[in-house]
Amino acid sequence: MAHTEHKQSFLSKYVFSTDHKTIGAQYTITGLFMAALGGFLAYVFRYNLAFPGENIPIFGQLAANQYNTFVTCHGMIMVFWVAMPILLAGFGNFLIPLMIGTDDMAFPKLNMLSYWTFLISAIVLVASFFVPTGAFGGAWTMYPPLSVNGYVDPNPSFFKALFYGSSLMILAVALEFTSILMGGINFVVTTINRRAPGMTPWRIPLAVWFINIATVIFMFSVGPLVAGAFMLLFDITLGTGFYDPARGGDPILFQHLFWFFGHPEVYVLLLPSLGVLGEIIPVFSRKPLFGYKKIIYLALLSAVLSVVVWAHHQFIAGIDPRMATFFSIGTILISIPFAGIFLAFMATLWGGKIKITLPMAWALGFIGLFLIGGLTGLFLGSNAFDIYAHDTYFVVAHFHYTLFPDIFFGFFAAFYFWFPKFTGKELKKGLGYLHFWLTFIFFNSTFFLLFFNGLGGQHRRINNYDLFSNINIEPYITFEKIATISAICLILSQTLFIYNFIVSWRAGKKAEKNPWQANTLEWVADSPPPHGNFETVPTVYHGAYEYSLPNMEADFLPQNVQAE
Amino acid sequence: MNIFPENVSTYGQDIDQLFWLVLVFAGTAFVISVFILLYPLFKNHHSRIQRAKYITGEGKAHFKWVIIALCVLTMSDFIILFAEHHTWEEFETLPQQKDAEYIVTGRQWNWAFTYPGLDGNLGTADDVVIDEPNSELHVPLSKNVFFQLKAKDVLHSFFVVNSRLKQDCIPGRTITRWINFTKEGKYDISCAEICGIAHSQMRNFIVVESQEKYNTYIDSLYKQHSATAGGN
Repeated sequence: MAHTEHKQSFLSKYVFSTDHKTIGAQYTITGLFMAALGGFLAYVFRYNLAFPGENIPIFGQLAANQYNTFVTCHGMIMVFWVAMPILLAGFGNFLIPLMIGTDDMAFPKLNMLSYWTFLISAIVLVASFFVPTGAFGGAWTMYPPLSVNGYVDPNPSFFKALFYGSSLMILAVALEFTSILMGGINFVVTTINRRAPGMTPWRIPLAVWFINIATVIFMFSVGPLVAGAFMLLFDITLGTGFYDPARGGDPILFQHLFWFFGHPEVYVLLLPSLGVLGEIIPVFSRKPLFGYKKIIYLALLSAVLSVVVWAHHQFIAGIDPRMATFFSIGTILISIPFAGIFLAFMATLWGGKIKITLPMAWALGFIGLFLIGGLTGLFLGSNAFDIYAHDTYFVVAHFHYTLFPDIFFGFFAAFYFWFPKFTGKELKKGLGYLHFWLTFIFFNSTFFLLFFNGLGGQHRRINNYDLFSNINIEPYITFEKIATISAICLILSQTLFIYNFIVSWRAGKKAEKNPWQANTLEWVADSPPPHGNFETVPTVYHGAYEYSLPNMEADFLPQNVQAE
Repeated sequence: MNIFPENVSTYGQDIDQLFWLVLVFAGTAFVISVFILLYPLFKNHHSRIQRAKYITGEGKAHFKWVIIALCVLTMSDFIILFAEHHTWEEFETLPQQKDAEYIVTGRQWNWAFTYPGLDGNLGTADDVVIDEPNSELHVPLSKNVFFQLKAKDVLHSFFVVNSRLKQDCIPGRTITRWINFTKEGKYDISCAEICGIAHSQMRNFIVVESQEKYNTYIDSLYKQHSATAGGN
């Protein structure tokens, strides 16, 4: 199986590559570019919130419809063009073949197609900013009827309607799903069929398990949304009436189809990052992952439960009040397996020999912040309080406290952990810690105060609160300003990461093959792993977390090494 | 502590109290979790420890702690659920006694108010519709006031911050909610569901006044209305 290193042209090595690592890098770097765009949008509308009506540096005036567009696209981009490519496609591509000990994905060409489809989807989305209607501005949830008849022309021709911002956004999302489905099939098939000898299911590292569970959740839940989105597209372009009550349709139907996917999607995004934590925490605690099998069972349980929680997004949308109780209970129940997973991670620390390193700092920061995000979910999950808090900044702060640690702390933990493996270089530590602390502090100062703005009654997606004399008061005005300034600092802090990335990659110190003394198979490969990954296929003798085994001198036992 | 805006409805207080109840549970869980997270970072710092303990956590002896914690968590969750269920019912169930009723229709971009007119019934010819920017809906104090919530074009959400009530309005449906105001005054009605370009400008008022003042207002409103109607 070992590939001989053959000369590849620049194009076949970095652009039209079928190598899983290159594709992972393509996904991740595209995701980071989209994150920069999403961050820029956030900068513009946050600036507008703190200083309404003022000229925004390097942008100018922000009109009301642009505000809506920017908020909408910020959400869309961060979920579907940042979190999905980086967490699912990026982690999946980088980690699965190396961690299960194979040379590449099962379907390398499909893998390449998956990335290029993704890139096209990103281009379609960005292009939607430049069509006559501008990008879609009716919130990332795209609720009809606004998403159907939000434009001036009541009876547009098919081609005119096809180039509306809303149509393009649906097409972009559809392409993105196609791409993730192709990638996802690859992940599952590769994990099932291409494991190294001895890599039994209960020896597969948690990250690989979780990426696969996330993929399966995605595949099960995405169908209804695709159907719902195409009905929406038909309503826009062909003039059908699926969501038009005047013609027998129902706008609430879309909400159900959307959240049937939309809520499981949260776990699709969460599980890969949790898998990464499951790799990092045992390494730096020098201790087996606490309850490895049980964690996997808990994740499978959460996958099942993830399809009975969706309507907690619709408590006040006019659903039957009795139904709300059912979804309240579902929401409570799904918090239990995740609480269990986090508790198991924390239990791994107890009795360990803890070394705080950069990846560990991000991992611990993730847990700390996610704790706030998870616990504030308790308020929203209780449907009575949701009557008041729904669609306020309390919700905004809550989901940023879940998604930001998930996406960015999860990504940075993985980045600082595996950078030596995939580049063969060491990162600058001091810069890394500075990046960590600035991100941690500015994230909190951006979003913590917004909880209070939400409790004070500030509702979402408002570009200017001047009209609302009872909520446009101190201290909320000051909080907005602090949040905005912090958000700008948070975005600027990321330049440290980019600088560290580029400088360390080009001129960093050469890294050891297994700098963290970890057990999983990727550390057996060279740094960076060549095309084909392993010189000889490793044989696996035990689980991924045999740290500090008694009766052994070394405190780790790589998966491919037989115990003495 | 004034983290909420002033409450002026009979049931608003229950929402505010629910917040503090959940905060007690969430706060306790937070403090305990932070302790579990941070304590080993100091106690088990690598400079103090020779070798980590080999604990897989697969056996009952160790994993039972996670199970116990999860049971406590589930129980607290259900306590919250029971506590809040009564508040939920209070908001979502209409009281027996109906003292006044109006139709509130969201449209791009204003709230339109329909008074029942002299015959006291909504949906009849003498209904008085007010659909102007910044218009006021006058309602009596300390009465069970019902709102038939509708939407003309897209989704809107009827939100009166000071009453704590929020309800989406759906085209093609009528959803009835109620408020019993406890204090006279003029309060904002806003729209909490994005409804297009001027979503931020969707602001009207609800004016709560004593029964006498309310009656005077209604009389003059109806008189004015029949005068203009007669003129046609």
